[in-house]
Order: sequence, then structure tokens, then C-alpha cells
Amino acid sequence: MAEGSNKTYKVPIGPVHVGLKEPITAWLDVDGERIKDATIRPGAIHRGIEFMARDRNPIQIIYLAERICGICSFAHIVAFVRAIEDAAKIEVPARAQYIRTIVLELERIHSHILWAGVACYTFGYDSAFHLGMILREKVMDVLEALTGNRVNYGTGTIGGVRRDITPTVEKVIREMIDLYRNEFSIFYDVVTQDPIAKARMRNVGVLSREDAVTHCALGPTARGSGLRVDLRWSSPYEAYCDMDIKPVVPQDHTGEVYGDVFDRFLVRVLEVYQSIEILEDALAGMPAGELMWEPKLPKLLNYLKQADGTGWSSIEAPRGDDTHAVRLTAGQENITWWKVRAPTYANAVSWPIMFRENDLADSPLIINSIDPCISCMERMVVTDRSSGAEQVVTKADLIERCRDKTRRMMGS
Amino acid sequence: MKPRCADYTDEIMSPEKVLSLLKRKFRKFSDTMELRDYRGGAGTDVGYQTLWVQVEKSKFLDLIDLLRELDFLHFHITSGDDIGEAVQLNYHFSLFRCAGRGKRLGVTVTVDVPKDDLVMPSLWQWIPGIEYSEREIREMFGVDFDGLPNKALIFLPEDWNEDIKPWRRDEAGPKPEDIRELS
Repeated sequence: MAEGSNKTYKVPIGPVHVGLKEPITAWLDVDGERIKDATIRPGAIHRGIEFMARDRNPIQIIYLAERICGICSFAHIVAFVRAIEDAAKIEVPARAQYIRTIVLELERIHSHILWAGVACYTFGYDSAFHLGMILREKVMDVLEALTGNRVNYGTGTIGGVRRDITPTVEKVIREMIDLYRNEFSIFYDVVTQDPIAKARMRNVGVLSREDAVTHCALGPTARGSGLRVDLRWSSPYEAYCDMDIKPVVPQDHTGEVYGDVFDRFLVRVLEVYQSIEILEDALAGMPAGELMWEPKLPKLLNYLKQADGTGWSSIEAPRGDDTHAVRLTAGQENITWWKVRAPTYANAVSWPIMFRENDLADSPLIINSIDPCISCMERMVVTDRSSGAEQVVTKADLIERCRDKTRRMMGS
Repeated sequence: MKPRCADYTDEIMSPEKVLSLLKRKFRKFSDTMELRDYRGGAGTDVGYQTLWVQVEKSKFLDLIDLLRELDFLHFHITSGDDIGEAVQLNYHFSLFRCAGRGKRLGVTVTVDVPKDDLVMPSLWQWIPGIEYSEREIREMFGVDFDGLPNKALIFLPEDWNEDIKPWRRDEAGPKPEDIRELS
């Protein structure tokens, strides 16, 4: 594909299967290896979960909400039950709020370590990837010890939580904190010391502060562009009300903001340390008391049937603000409507800006940098628009292109 | 209309003041306005607040203009329902998102779009991040957005019959034969 011949090619990537609203195809217009423009088309696996929910009561929807995403499943149910609690005016016991906070932070650690590992894998830093996978096992073990499951924890419910933090579990969490304090530094070293990692991520996929504001970017994607936004800080909920949390932004650590893949990497790595501190604070400050507002399910369902109102909750999920809104109508057992807005729904609007004027070989890194789950990314098709010729490139080829670029930079 | 601004303000207005400003400028709708407090943790302090307001469609842009005077209006999502004579849309926004601990004010603006004129003004030129949501509401409810440049389907498949609006509860909605029960 010759560059500068005024012939652009269209390269579709995807569909990318990444959760409820996140299966995304990216059509890239390329001139040689340069990406000139991008069009995003989600929807490949829109499953109509909100439509299905109209036939279910709030308790049943918890289990539906939990299956929106495999990684931030707890974030989705906390957002959902908080919206119900807002609509039905339910107060959650303080101990339950602390346990929710602990699980949310465990989930954030799990998500960010996975992301950091996969980002390293994408540009060919396999040893860091494997180390990431080993490290992530610990937090998965802790989640299993606490909830019985490694994903879909079944732990949150309306008005509280269903599992307590026992002294045994607390001991396991503290062991994990000690482990991460000592071992997680490899990722910090990748960010600050490895010249190749820096060369691959610096000035790649830039999202300016202004574009991040106008395109409503969220979470680490927005913070990577220097925006001090974090719902745990700007509108504290659950146990975050008792903690002094500051949004992690690159300018506080490196003195400058590029808004590139590197800055988004840096923000996530530093947020793992922040989550460790939040876990310690939450364990230290956890009050005694009830776990649920109403432990008897039939009684709770009966109360919810009488409730009437609209509830809204936005919480800080690992990838950014996760918003759920729900409507309850008095006399109806099922909810009237439910709206879910996963963070990638908002962050994907910024993708075309990040792609422009970058190399095709950097596209996997850029897609990864907003942290969608590209678990089912299958293949891409390279189309020569002038002749109509098509060439199918597999995901493996794409990754290989990305890794080749690293090798070229290393001169081998 | 006020031109597009592209950064957040540090000059916040207290939620009570925003509420009284709205009550003054939109007196007709003051009954629909509500300020909700949210508490968390072991203490009793208010963590943050949200503001709820419902206006007529003809006043919607005036209200948005007023909110945009205060800060860049961060957009979360549009939710909605088919309520019979109209499609009711709830725009969920945030003000003062970047202004300090506990300063964010969530704002929900509810507006009924009558079914004989299913058109809303698009906010895309001021808030480009709203694009996906306006396209979603367009394909799911059949509400058109005046001023939205790209009106292609977003979540529904390319071969979708666009006469079917999945979230409508009237004859425009899916018929039983359009729905495949999985269990």
C-alpha cells in the first residue's frame, strides 16, 4: 500500500465484542500505513438487555446486569442497585457500603492489571504480559475467597451486600496488598524506565484535553488527557464519602500532559497503587453492623412493588463512569424501563480522533488504550477501494504488525 | 445561542442556587424541580446532589442554554420511555464535574416529545459526545434529531427493518412475532 499516492484504502477492524454496548467495528481509511480517518460502527452483539429487563423484577435484573460485562460485573450491579435505591429511597447500611467499596476496588485492580498486561503484549513485551497474568491471579483468588467466584460475584443486592468480610478474608486481602506493594513495580518500571515501551506509546493515539471534554470522555481515558475527573472524588458515594481520594492525572507525576496511550497507561498503573490505599482505608474504617436493609426477599420485593420513581446512578467503574437509570411504577412488580450506559459507549466516541494520523500498526494499541475488552476480536479485512480487491488479515497478523514495529525500533 | 465552550469551570454555583435560578427563569415548571441528596459511608454529610427538572419541548433549548452558561454540560446518557401520547426522554447531565470534591451536580432534564411531532433539536453542535445517544434514541424510539449530521443506525443491524422501533410500546414497536424468546 503506497503512501502519498492519493489512494486511500478502507480497513475494517472488528466486530469487537466487548460487553453490552461495546461490540465495535472500526473502519479505518488508510493512506499507506497512515490512518487518515476512522468510522466506528458498534452493535454487532447488541443483545437488547434493556428490552429483556422490562419483563423482570429488580432482583432478577441484578443477575442480568451482572452479565453485561465479565470484568466490571460488580460495577454494573452497584450502578444498577444504586439506581433502584435512589428510585425507591432505600438506605444502605454503612458496613455494606464499605464491602461494596472493597469489591469495587478489587475489581479495579483486577481490570487495570489485566489491561496493563495486555497492552504490553500488544507491542511485544511478553515477559511483562506474563508477569501481569501471574499478578492478577492473586486478586482473583481474593475475590474467590470473598465471594466464591472469580467473575460474576453474586455479592451485591438491593439495599446491601450478600457476603461479609470475615477475619479470614481480611487476612487474604492484606496478603494481597503486601504482594502488590512489592511486585507490582514491574509495571511502574515499564512506564517510567523502558525506552521501547515509551517510544511505542508516547504521542500515539493522542486525545487533547479539549476533545476529551467535548466528546465526554470518561475514567482513565479522560484523566490521561489531564482532566481531573473521578466520581469517587467529584460525587463521593458509598465508603468513598469517608475517604480523601484525588483523581490520578499525568501532570501530577510527570509534570506534563500528552493525552496519549502512554499517559493512559501511566494513569492506570498509578491507580492500582491508589486502589491498594483505598483497600487499606476501607479495612481500617469498616464499621460493624447489618449487611442488608431488608434481608427477607419477599418483603423487599413487596416494598419495591409499591415504589414509584426514577432513579439514576453514576459510579466510577474501572473504565470510567458507569451510568444506570431505572424507572419503577407503583403496583408493578417489574421495572418499567432501565437504561445502561457502559463507559466504552462514551469513550468510543473519541476513537476516531485518537486514530487520525497514526500508523496502522498502532491501531491495536489505540483500540486497547481506552480499555475495551477485545476478547472476541476476530479478523480484519483490507479493501482496495479502487480495484475492489479484498484481503483478509487475521487478528494474529494485526498483532504481528504491531510487534514488528517494536522490533524495527529496537533495530533487530 | 452561546458558542461551544470546551473546558470545565472551577467557579461553581451551589445546587440550591442553581435550583433557585431555574425556578426563577422557568417558574412554570418549578413544581417539577427536585433536589436530591445522597449520603454515604459512616458519616451523615451529603456526598453529592442531583437536580431533576421537566420542561416542555419548546423550552428545552432555553433550559440547556441556561445550564451551559454555568459549565460545560457533560452528557451521560438519554433514557426514555413510550408513555402513550408522547415519548418521554430524560437527558442525564453533569455540571461542575471537575470543580472539586463533592461538587459535581447531576442534572436530569425530562422532556415529553409528542408522537405527532417526534423531533427534538440536536445538541450535537455543542456536545459532540451526545452523538451515539441521539442516534440510539432515533433508532429505538423513532425520535428524529434536528441538526444531527450522522443519522445512520448505531446498535441495530444493517439489515434491520427501520419501521420497527424496539423500545416503543405502540404499533411502531416490535410485534410478538418479531421477538425471539430465549427461555
